[in-house]
Amino acid sequence: MAAPTEAQLAHQKLLDELDLHSVHKTFRASSWRPNHRRNKNIKTILMDASRKEASSSVATPQDVSGSVTPMPTLAAPDSKDDGLSTSGSSTPANGADALPNNQNPNLSQASRSLSKLVLEKTLRQGAAASATGASTAPSVTYTNIESAPSLAHTRHYCDATGLPAPYLDPKTRLRYHDREVFSFIRSLPQGVAEQYLEARGAHVVLK
Amino acid sequence: MAPSAIEEAVIASKMPPPKSYPPPKIFPAKESKFEKTIAIQRDGREKALARANENPVIVIDNGSFNVRAGWSFEDNPRFSIPPIMSKFRDRKAGKTYSFAGNDCYVDANSRSHIRNAFEQGSGVITNWDAMEHVLDYIFIKLGFNDIDGSVDWPIVMTEAVANFTYVRKTMSETLFECYGVPSVAYGIDALFSYRHNKGNTGLVVSSSHTSTHVIPVYNQRPLLAQATRLNWGGWHSAEYLLKLLKLKYPAFVNKLNSSQAEHMLRDYCYLSADYDNELRGYLDWTGLEDRDIVVQYPYTEEVVVQKSEEELARIAERKKESGRRLQEQAAKLRLEKLMKKEEELEYYKNLQTRIQNATNKKDVRRMLDAGEMKDEAALEKTINALDKAVRKAQTKDVGGDPEEDQQQPVFDLLDVPDDQLDEAGLKAKRQQRLLKSNHDARARAKAGKEAEKARIEEAKRLDEERREKDLEGWLEDKRRARAEALQKMKERDRLKQDLGNRKSLASQSRMKTIANLASDNPTKKRRRGGDDDTFGADDDDWGVYRTIAIGDNSDDEHEEEDLMASLKTCEQDLLLYDPGFTYEDTYEAQLDWSKSMLHAFTRGPRPFDPASAAELNQLHLNVERIRVPEVLFQPSIAGVDQAGLVEMAGDIVNQRLSGAIAGADRDAFLRDIFLTGGNTLFKNFEQRLRDGLTPLLPADTPLKVRRAQNAQLDAWRGAAAWSGSSAWKAATITRAEYLEKGSEYLKEHDLGNPVSTV
Repeated sequence: MAAPTEAQLAHQKLLDELDLHSVHKTFRASSWRPNHRRNKNIKTILMDASRKEASSSVATPQDVSGSVTPMPTLAAPDSKDDGLSTSGSSTPANGADALPNNQNPNLSQASRSLSKLVLEKTLRQGAAASATGASTAPSVTYTNIESAPSLAHTRHYCDATGLPAPYLDPKTRLRYHDREVFSFIRSLPQGVAEQYLEARGAHVVLK
Repeated sequence: MAPSAIEEAVIASKMPPPKSYPPPKIFPAKESKFEKTIAIQRDGREKALARANENPVIVIDNGSFNVRAGWSFEDNPRFSIPPIMSKFRDRKAGKTYSFAGNDCYVDANSRSHIRNAFEQGSGVITNWDAMEHVLDYIFIKLGFNDIDGSVDWPIVMTEAVANFTYVRKTMSETLFECYGVPSVAYGIDALFSYRHNKGNTGLVVSSSHTSTHVIPVYNQRPLLAQATRLNWGGWHSAEYLLKLLKLKYPAFVNKLNSSQAEHMLRDYCYLSADYDNELRGYLDWTGLEDRDIVVQYPYTEEVVVQKSEEELARIAERKKESGRRLQEQAAKLRLEKLMKKEEELEYYKNLQTRIQNATNKKDVRRMLDAGEMKDEAALEKTINALDKAVRKAQTKDVGGDPEEDQQQPVFDLLDVPDDQLDEAGLKAKRQQRLLKSNHDARARAKAGKEAEKARIEEAKRLDEERREKDLEGWLEDKRRARAEALQKMKERDRLKQDLGNRKSLASQSRMKTIANLASDNPTKKRRRGGDDDTFGADDDDWGVYRTIAIGDNSDDEHEEEDLMASLKTCEQDLLLYDPGFTYEDTYEAQLDWSKSMLHAFTRGPRPFDPASAAELNQLHLNVERIRVPEVLFQPSIAGVDQAGLVEMAGDIVNQRLSGAIAGADRDAFLRDIFLTGGNTLFKNFEQRLRDGLTPLLPADTPLKVRRAQNAQLDAWRGAAAWSGSSAWKAATITRAEYLEKGSEYLKEHDLGNPVSTV
């Protein structure tokens, strides 16, 4: 094996300098043992959450005392500043009080089921009008803030060139701009047309 | 007909003048790479210690494109690194290496092990090992490693809109339990940016690396229930651009990576102010020069050694020399052979005369044996052969044509009837007959060649005569011939294409023919009723084998050449004699690159030289420059089944806000549409949003779109300014609260997410 050159030695030195693995990190707690299964992708997170929701009696975060403390400042200036709230009584002072007064306090923790959740939502309509944005509507989640499918008319563009495409090739299902592009898409090797479709999300997915 | 010098001049005058092109503007391909080591910065901590009364905080804008970290009392983050790590084991050194941030790009090995803390194309942290590495890196660089104990400063960190509780919980656990921070507060980057730009009520449009959000803010309070996300950001755009480029340059697939696409997107792409109109004329030749961006990839030029004049002369000389030497050797060899043959001839002639002089049969026998001859006839034959060979060799040396001055062989025996000949005579006669037929055949071939030559001459003369007498008719014929040739070429192409398709008529009939040929009793014959197989009686029958042969057979190529050649001669004639036929009309000119829109698309406004390594390694960005950013406004282009940005914003303003806040002034939101995030930096972004929203709103609605001062850094700055304020104090989660209320505990505040079940 050839002896390492000057540049290789310098590079090795740089690697050693940049390396984080060998650095002893005093600021980290030596007792820190993370859960080995903490790496969850979005799909798993959503699945776990829905399972939890289904099995747990604790349905709404507002009911979990202690886990949430909406700031008093959140609502207080609201009613003062904009004067939009329909009823001053609905201004929540804290998490537990955010629920309307007419909620039956005798309801035990155990009876909080999905049906109660629905009831709670209807009851909270009054509170919703207080316009404290975040805490009113059904809780904001990662999935429900996604924008809905478009209602607008979609324009068609050539799959190969991106230019406006008045035509559709029935064989490959590609849209094309003119005769020249047509002869091009007809000369594509097998499978490439499908890749063009994939860029537009119109390819066939076998499940 | 061979074009004469004059004809060539005429043709040349009809050709377009050769164009010259200014050198193209060429940009180098860029990609993320390691630049320099970030030094450990201890001064920040010391400064923070000195200002302990001002509540200094470590601010981390935890973005999926870049993580920016620094001290809250400073104007800028200390550094910004991509949220990536790379960990691998160097077998040779027996050592494990791990890097974070830009250091991951240090060499090819580390690049190949890069892992991202965020799930691809989303703002959700899914790889906590990578996240921890990045945090380690940040705290080391901020100077926390040489002090004893934990990271003893409060943290303010940004997170995605409607972040998952699980993600926040894990982050809190990591920060409190691994790093031992005293407190942490979470907020939304777009809202921090809006706060930094002194926004009060408005529509925050935040388009970042992994997503695009529209968040209405009312009196500094976000209406997150009305917020909407479009799953499209810079990352998606770069991936889309990469996909398009891979399809555009299939031979280039392995050289492209997403980091390069990211740089191209940032440097050359822009939003079109009027997409459909601009798009329509994007590949027009006028102005394509400016619209076409050439990106040059590295390549190795094949070095062609330019030989000097002297060297070339020397090489030629050497070649000539060796040739001469060979010739000399051959000549010498020939001469030696000739001499030997002459000697032999001399000897046999001598022998012959001696035999003739001999009287005694025994002597003759003896002499023949000495000469290794069977009889006198054999001797005679040998002598003749030798004589001929010697003569041939002599003429060759002299340089004459051996065929020409060959004397007429003697055919004297042919006319003698057989019965008058003895054994030897008959043999000689047979030989003479053979010779004669050979001789005759050669003469016939010669005559045939002459006749053909004469016929061509005649045809040419007639053709010219016709042209002179009836130019129009002659031209008409030529035009028809040209059209026929073109038609034939087209048909051949179609046939070739059809044969590629198993179901086409052409392939089916081919299969039928093959089956017919292979079967013992072809159906055709039976149908005709004739029992005798006449296959081969007509030469064209063999053509069936040509029709069933497909693929690369030379016959096809010959045919192609023939068609091309005949087309070419027709066009030459037309160019010469038809004043209405210009170079532009020729087949060649119509195939020219300047007629092809696809050429403009892939190779820009210049001819393409496939032999040039430089040009083979060039990418041309043209339509992509507006096509890729446009996806934000028309997600259907990239197959995203969501409403575009304008539709989203219009829906929020027109439908959802009125329901959310009773009596809210819609115009207040429209008066401040605020753009932040790296993906809003495209040229014309404000204009597109304004132009898109105007038709959705009543006339005279005030509409004001503004950009953040710094679309990328303002989130960090806003968070830094917020830290230390009373609002921050109320929103921050302390260690005690974490321990008491659990890792999912969150305080809601004006710049952060609401508590959610998921």
